[in-house]
Amino acid sequence: MNIVSIDPRVTRSHIDENTQEGIANPMEHFQTYEVFEQKKRGTHHIHVGSVHAPSAEMAMIFAKEQYSRRGQCVNLWVVKTADVFATEYEDSDIFDTISDKTYREPEAYKVIDRIQAFKERQKAN
Amino acid sequence: MYGNAYVDPENKIVNSITANEDPIKLAEFESRIAAGNKIEPMDWMPAEYKKQLVRMIEQHAHSEIIGALPEGTWITRAPGFRRKLALMAKVQDEIGHGQLLYSAAETLGKSREAMTNDLITGKSKYSNVFNYPAKTWADSAVIAWLIDAGAIVNQLANSKGSYGPYCRALDRICAEESFHLKYGHDNVVFLATGTPVQRAMVQDALNRWWEPIMHFFGPPDKESIHTATLMRWKVKMGSNDDMRNMFLDMYVPKIWDLGLTLPDPNLHKNEETGRWEYTEPNWEVFKQVINGNGPCNKERLAVRRKAEENGRWVRKALAKPTEKYVTPLS
Amino acid sequence: MEFTDKHVQGLKDLLYKMADDLLIIGHRNSEWTGLGPVLEEDIAFSSMAQDKVGQSLALYEILHQLGESDPDTVAFTRNAPQFHCSQLVELPIGEYDFSLVRHFFFDHAEAIRFDMLATTVVEPLQMVAKKFRGEIKYHTMHADIWMKQLGESEEAKMRMQNSINEVFPFALGMFEPSEFEAELIEAGIFDGEFALREKWLNKVVPLLESFGYTVPNAETIIPEFGGRKGQHTEHLQPLLDEMTEVFAIDPGAEW
Repeated sequence: MNIVSIDPRVTRSHIDENTQEGIANPMEHFQTYEVFEQKKRGTHHIHVGSVHAPSAEMAMIFAKEQYSRRGQCVNLWVVKTADVFATEYEDSDIFDTISDKTYREPEAYKVIDRIQAFKERQKAN
Repeated sequence: MYGNAYVDPENKIVNSITANEDPIKLAEFESRIAAGNKIEPMDWMPAEYKKQLVRMIEQHAHSEIIGALPEGTWITRAPGFRRKLALMAKVQDEIGHGQLLYSAAETLGKSREAMTNDLITGKSKYSNVFNYPAKTWADSAVIAWLIDAGAIVNQLANSKGSYGPYCRALDRICAEESFHLKYGHDNVVFLATGTPVQRAMVQDALNRWWEPIMHFFGPPDKESIHTATLMRWKVKMGSNDDMRNMFLDMYVPKIWDLGLTLPDPNLHKNEETGRWEYTEPNWEVFKQVINGNGPCNKERLAVRRKAEENGRWVRKALAKPTEKYVTPLS
Repeated sequence: MEFTDKHVQGLKDLLYKMADDLLIIGHRNSEWTGLGPVLEEDIAFSSMAQDKVGQSLALYEILHQLGESDPDTVAFTRNAPQFHCSQLVELPIGEYDFSLVRHFFFDHAEAIRFDMLATTVVEPLQMVAKKFRGEIKYHTMHADIWMKQLGESEEAKMRMQNSINEVFPFALGMFEPSEFEAELIEAGIFDGEFALREKWLNKVVPLLESFGYTVPNAETIIPEFGGRKGQHTEHLQPLLDEMTEVFAIDPGAEW
């Protein structure tokens, strides 16, 4: 029997209430693309999520409405998830900074005292 | 919009949850959560953690997709431009939330297709509240206000959970839900302060929806090791009764403020305990509805099946069989 | 130049048909919300439906400034014979191929119409035409990508082609001339339906052919006219009855 619903859209669709259709096949919803949004010129693109899409163009059309339909955006990137090469969280210790690598930090370069001493010596001569 | 994940109180697994896990990895995992850090997709995690999260996020996603149906009932009939545009945007948001949540669940290894199939075959659940009909325009207003309000209580709590992708999805969702809540409240206020006909409509709708709303947060939790573990892992973020109480505390006064009544003569706040007291809703009805016997279960699933079927030729035409699927990153 | 009564009448007629088109196609396309073929597309299609309804509202506001009733009254209390939309927009949503093809034809026409109106002498209309430029650009982009990609699969291409053939006479119906064409052109309000139709054909025909479709010959097809004069298919009145069901409970009430 077809469903008679309070929703006129449903009634119009002539849906058999015992329908068994609709089972999806594997990969029917495509691969995914990662979405990067730039809010303002001059700022970085930031990762905001992903979309399922059959092509980059379609991913861009989808991402625009799913991630940028509110608020500010000036540019979008979409990248196939499969093309992103990521580090493992297991390896996150590779990012640990060891405190004695001070030669990379600006604080390690304090020459004011040396200049002062030099000037004193110059004056003394 | 969404209700608290329904944890089956008769679940027998209880003690064995962590029995087969590597104790060193488990300790690391637990200390990471205890320190307030998030778990990310590629991290080691206990099997039960993953299983419960997939179940919960998936249920949440299904609830958004099915939740679009009762409100969608009125999408072609919203009165006036302001309501018409807002309702379209709101139902659209629910679909958007479903998309975000399916992606979050996918990071744990279950494909969108598998989740869709489990939804339409009835294998996985969604929030019970969407198995009730939106009989009048006022029902759509009550849903937008109070069901979304309940959902926000749950979702704000869950957004402090431990799984990174779920938290990120919820942050975005909660921001959008605040529009829903405002829209719903505005809608109810206009009806409650409008003509006698409008007022009667909204009172009727409120009477109809009160029990489903009380059910929304789930039955009182039984104290169990299982629940305690899920709380420690920050999968479950509060007891069902606490969430319900928080909701009552925030919204019952606002309902009474409009001179509307609620169909429970025992409903009141115990000022000493600070907790609300009420007539326990009929949990047998709740179970019946969960098991497929609610007023709209059949229709909801049939509509989803039909929508999936109608879209198949489109997806089939676009799909490229050579492409490889990998789970979304985060 | 000073507007005569006929100029004002012509302007109102133009605004009514544009606004009615946008309201009705927005309404129709909103029927897909929650039931679309792909979640992401569901969201995109719903956004565009909202845009259309929003655009119609902006045009009804201009009409209101010209002395017509407020937008809610105009949109939610008229019957089919008082609507000036083309028959194209009132047809049921059909299957997705039908809705996409209608979206493609309609949005290219709208994009060109708004582009032409960006230089109209009617200032509020000029502002509206410029304001929605970005929205409409996305709509045509969306339509083009879909038409192109579905044309790349044999089965889908056949469906799309059938819908193109079915929709085309209705699409030509969009350009039904009004009785004020000369006045609109003379006053610098709008360059007229004929000019629009030519520009539109020059856009959509090569585009569809580049996607591999064939386009019926516009010179031999009889357009489905009537909509602009209040003659509609049997689909419009039920649509309006549905759209106004709640509003009609008490049109004086605030909803």
